[in-house]
Parts: sequence; structure tokens; C-alpha cells
Amino acid sequence: MDILDKIFTLLIFPGGLFLLILGLAYEWVDRKLLAQLQNRIGPRWFQPLADVIKLLAKEEVIPEGVNPWLFIGLPIIALAGSLTAALYTPLVGLPPSHSFPGDLIVTVYLLSLLTLCMGLAGSNTLDRFSLMGATRTLTQLFSYEAPFMLSLLGPAIVVGSWRIADITSYTENHWLLLSQPIGFLVALIGLIGKLEMPPLDAPEAETEIVAGAMTEYSGRGYALFRLAKGAELVVGLTLVASFYMGGMANPLLFLLKTLLLLLVMVGLQTLITRLRIDQTVGLWWRYGTLLVLVQWLGMIIWKGVAS
Amino acid sequence: MESKRQDERFIIPIGPQHPALKEPAHFRITVDGEIITNAVVRLGYAHRGIEKATESRNWVQNIYLVERICGICSHIHATAYCLGVERLAGVEVPPRAQTLRVLVAELERIHSHLLWLGVAAHEAGFDTLFMYSWRDRETVMDLLENVSGNRVNYSVNLLGGVKIDIDNQISDTIREGLAFLEERTLHYLDVVSNDMAFLQRTRGIGVLTRSQADVLGCVGPVARASNVPRDVRVEAPYGAYQQYPVNIVLVEKGDLEARFIVRLKELLESYRIIREILDTLPPGELTTRMPRRIKEGETISRVEAPRGELFYFIKSNGTDTPERVKVRTPTICNMLSVLKLAVGHQLADLPMILAGIDPCFSCNDRVAIIDHRRKSPEIWTWQDLRQYGIEYYNGHSR
Repeated sequence: MDILDKIFTLLIFPGGLFLLILGLAYEWVDRKLLAQLQNRIGPRWFQPLADVIKLLAKEEVIPEGVNPWLFIGLPIIALAGSLTAALYTPLVGLPPSHSFPGDLIVTVYLLSLLTLCMGLAGSNTLDRFSLMGATRTLTQLFSYEAPFMLSLLGPAIVVGSWRIADITSYTENHWLLLSQPIGFLVALIGLIGKLEMPPLDAPEAETEIVAGAMTEYSGRGYALFRLAKGAELVVGLTLVASFYMGGMANPLLFLLKTLLLLLVMVGLQTLITRLRIDQTVGLWWRYGTLLVLVQWLGMIIWKGVAS
Repeated sequence: MESKRQDERFIIPIGPQHPALKEPAHFRITVDGEIITNAVVRLGYAHRGIEKATESRNWVQNIYLVERICGICSHIHATAYCLGVERLAGVEVPPRAQTLRVLVAELERIHSHLLWLGVAAHEAGFDTLFMYSWRDRETVMDLLENVSGNRVNYSVNLLGGVKIDIDNQISDTIREGLAFLEERTLHYLDVVSNDMAFLQRTRGIGVLTRSQADVLGCVGPVARASNVPRDVRVEAPYGAYQQYPVNIVLVEKGDLEARFIVRLKELLESYRIIREILDTLPPGELTTRMPRRIKEGETISRVEAPRGELFYFIKSNGTDTPERVKVRTPTICNMLSVLKLAVGHQLADLPMILAGIDPCFSCNDRVAIIDHRRKSPEIWTWQDLRQYGIEYYNGHSR
């Protein structure tokens, strides 16, 4: 019975299938809201699902000059990465299904796996748009990764534990958004960068490099990458919302807070022009990282004074 | 293969098919990392042989043919053609018809500039501005439909006049539409000159100095954004522009921001002209008689298309078909500036620099053969062309 329960957790709910569907639903919310704010109608509710089904049914063209194992394997690893990360996060307001001390670090790295896989997938091909896209993807990874991680470690310092379950049980009574506004902002923008959403979508800027690292992917591989992105969107929103926005004790709060966060992200997507890759790097290393470090310093001093 | 790629330069092909291009053209962009070190263009993918086709149609049929050179500025092509033919025939067009031509030309300029605003914003990754400006463009397209019956290819011109007329009801509709558009244009002017994120992508990017613009022979808004006072409506007013003078819009800086500001300010100027026309539209006939055969002779006509100076050379041999119609569209004049400006900029800036001239590739594609080895026959037969094609591709095959 225990085994069945575990398999259910892994494959159906809250991980696996449920997470994939939730990811598609959030992708739809994102697209629909963006469309509405841009004075468009936007897709119907089943469009992301329809896209994925269509992509899965399409022939996957493996271009010449690539390593076929990498080409097929990378999307699977990316999807596995974001699905695994979900196991340590308090999805739908439930406590994480797995937990151990230090799982925050593991989760953050699992979340980076998607970007890493996309970068590798791009540099695996001979296509020039892919190569440019891969370079930009990895450049962007190196620029937002450190501040994003620092911003997630901020709450960990306050709680004194690197275990997500501990942090969320603390934040249920504390809105860290108020005491660490910079960390929240950096985490939010870091999430946009991680998911390569506008305005930080230079790695897949279609008017310059077509689809960036994803240019050569057509069928199943592309579908898996999209599913992984959807899952990562949910996991990322859950992490940021539960850390900074007063935790989430039940599914209703989960929906409310993640959707609110998504709305803010869509607002940023609507209002801001795409940044060039050098501007992105500048943004993170000139402002993002420094501000988070300053906040960190303040927190450490405050802790020292208070104790 | 890997080792071979290393000593080759890294060339990014933009086009013939590419999301940044609305029409086929081929740019070979050599990059060093993100920095462009060389840019080469190859045009001609959409050559349609319209100039040659005019020679097998009569003078009236050609109006409808030249209107189709450009889908966006169709009216101004027909106007340039009609002005030339009317001058050859020695026919004076009634003042009301001339004024109506200017009215439609300015409406078309509004439509073209709003379209450009959206495209340029999209190239920068600012899709919100793209969607909003294209929504507002619907207003002016509805106005054009109201005036002429068509949203594109308005087909307003006739040889010797126009075929539309406007009454009070239509002019009220136009005034209403303009009031809305003016409010929106002021808002966009505010956005492109104050939105910090957008300015990061436009301010100081693609700076074309005044002397460069002069030397490269830029025309239209690109030249005016570099403070070169070049506007056919002002320099050589044609048609009713003598009665409705245009205030030239000049900006000094020459960067992408300046190109945005020039075009948006020109919109405001167009609104002013249209309002003035609606207030003081002269009464009278719409058409005058036109001979079927045009007297022998040749002429040029220059008009200001939304993208810059449009040039027509028309030669008649006294029959009912032209002997030669030569068209030079503004894009070809501005294309050099793209190649010049691209070098040294980042790859991410290229789509915007290209969009900055408002390129219209299908309009500018021409055949120009310069071959010093041949004994330069002036007329190429079909066999000559075929032989040339075979030799060309044998010589260029990889």
C-alpha cells in the first residue's frame, strides 16, 4: 500500500500528471492575460494542451550533425528535472511530499536543469540560430542564477533552516515580502528570466534568432521542453509565493497567491520592452546581485544584533 | 567539419525567410559574439517584372498595375504615375481632384506610419505597442474604406482626376477618426520618448549623422531624422501641396528614437493638413477629359511616399501604351544606410535598424545588370537572359 501511495504521489498527484496539467493551465492563464492586456482575444482554454498533443503527434526531425542521444535525451532530462523539483515544493498548499534538510539547494539546482538542458540542446546542433540562442541562454543563466538563489536563501536565513518544509511552516505566519522586498522582486524577475518570458526573452528573441536554442526542435522534444517549462512555471510560482507571500495553508490560498504573482509577471511582460542580452547581464550584476547582497548583509547584522 | 568552421567567420543568415522579415531579402550578418562586423544584403527575391509589364498595357490599365507595386503605399504610386502622364498629355487636373488626391495621400501616410510603428515595436520585442498601434490603425483603414470603398489599394486615381468624392457626412467621420488618432499619437509620442525600457533599445542606437545621410542618399523620414531637410512635398510641391503647404519635421539626433519621433510628428502634421483640406475643399469638377494616346515625350515625376521620395520616369512614343516606365522606390535609397549602420552594433539591434528605414523589399526589387565582359547590348532577348542565368549559376555554384 505504501508503494502504491508513493507511485501515486510521483505519477499522478501532486507530482507527475497533475503538475503537467497545472502547468498547461498556468501557461494558458499567462497567455490569456497577456493577450487581454495587449488588446487581443487570446487562446481558448484548451490551446496549450492542443499544442502539446499536436507536437507529440508530429514527426521529430533529427538534424544532421547532432548527437542523436543528446538530442532525444535532453528534453527528457529537462522535464524530469522540473518534475523532481516539484516533489520538494508545497504544491497546492499541501506539505512537500518529500523532504530532507537542505532540499532547498537541490530544488534550485533541479530548476536550473531545464535552462542547462536548453543551452546544451542548442549547442548540440550546427544551426547558427541555435548556437546564438544557446550562448544567450547560458549567459542569462549565469547572470540570474546567483541573485535568484540568494533571494531564495534570504527566507532560509531568517528561518535558520535550508529545508523547504521548515521555511514554509514559518512563512505561514510571516509575510517576508514586507521585510525583504528586494529579495521578493529579485526572485520574481529571476523567475521571468528562468522561464525566458518577455522582457527577458533575448535567448529566444524571434525577430533576431528565430527560436533560439529551440530552433531545431520540432516534435516530441519541443513538446517535452514546453511541458517542462509549464511545470517549472508552477514550481517557481509556488516557491516564490510560499516563501514571500505569507505561505499557503490550503489549495485556495495556493491558487489565489500564485495567480496573483502570475498577474504581476504578466504585467511586467506587457509593459517592458525586451532587453538585449548585455542589458540583462548588466541588470543582474549591476543591480540585482548587489541589492540582494546588501539586503543579506542587513539581515545578518540584524540577526546578530537581535540574538 | 568542426575544424573547418573555426577559421570561417561566423555568419548569421537573416532571410530570405526569417521572422524579422515581412518580405524576402537576404542579409549575411558576420558576427563576432554578439557584435556585427560585416553586413551584406542580397535583394531581388520578389522581383515581379512590373516595369516591363507596363509596356504591354495601355495608359489606363497601368494605373491599376502600378498601384500594386506596393500594398501599403498604393495610392502614392498611382499619383506619381498619373502626375507624369497628365504632364505628358498637357492636361490640367481640376483643383478639387488634386486636393482629394492629397487627402487620400495623407490618410495613406497615417496608415503607413502607424503600421510601421507597430512593426518597429515588434522588432524591439515591445508587442504591446505593436498590438495597440495596429488596433488604432484600423481606424484610419476604416476611414479609407469610407472614402474609397477599399481598405488597401484604394484605387482613387484616374488619369485626369479622381473617382471619389466626399460629402459632409464623410468629412465628419474623418474628423471624428482624426480626433481619436491624434489623442493616440500624442500618447505614443509620449511612450517612445519617455519609456525607459524602450529608450534603452532606441536612444543612441543606429546613429546616422547628417553628413552620412547626405552621402548615402537617404530619403524620407530617415533623412529627416538626421536633420536633412528632404521632403518632396516641401522642396517641389506637387498637386495641391501648393495650396496646403507642409511644415517639414526635422529631428537632429539621427538615432532610432529620432526616427520614431519624426514619423509620429509627421502623423500630427498629416492630421493638420487633412483638417485644413476638409475645411477648405474647393468645389468643382472631379475629372477632366484625357486623350487615349499620349503625346510623344518623356517626363519624371517625384512625390513623397510615406517612406520617402518616390520617383517615376515615364516615356511615351505617342501610342496608347508607354514605352518605358521606370520606378525608383525609397527603400532602395535607404538600404545602404542599414548596411553602414549595422556594423559595430549588436545583433539584437539589427532588426530595429532594418525596421528603422521601413523597408519594403518587393517594391524595390529591380534588375540592374552591369557586366563589363559583354558587348553591352541594350536589349536582352529571352535567349540572352537564359544564357546569362545558366552562366551565373554555373559560376556561383558551390
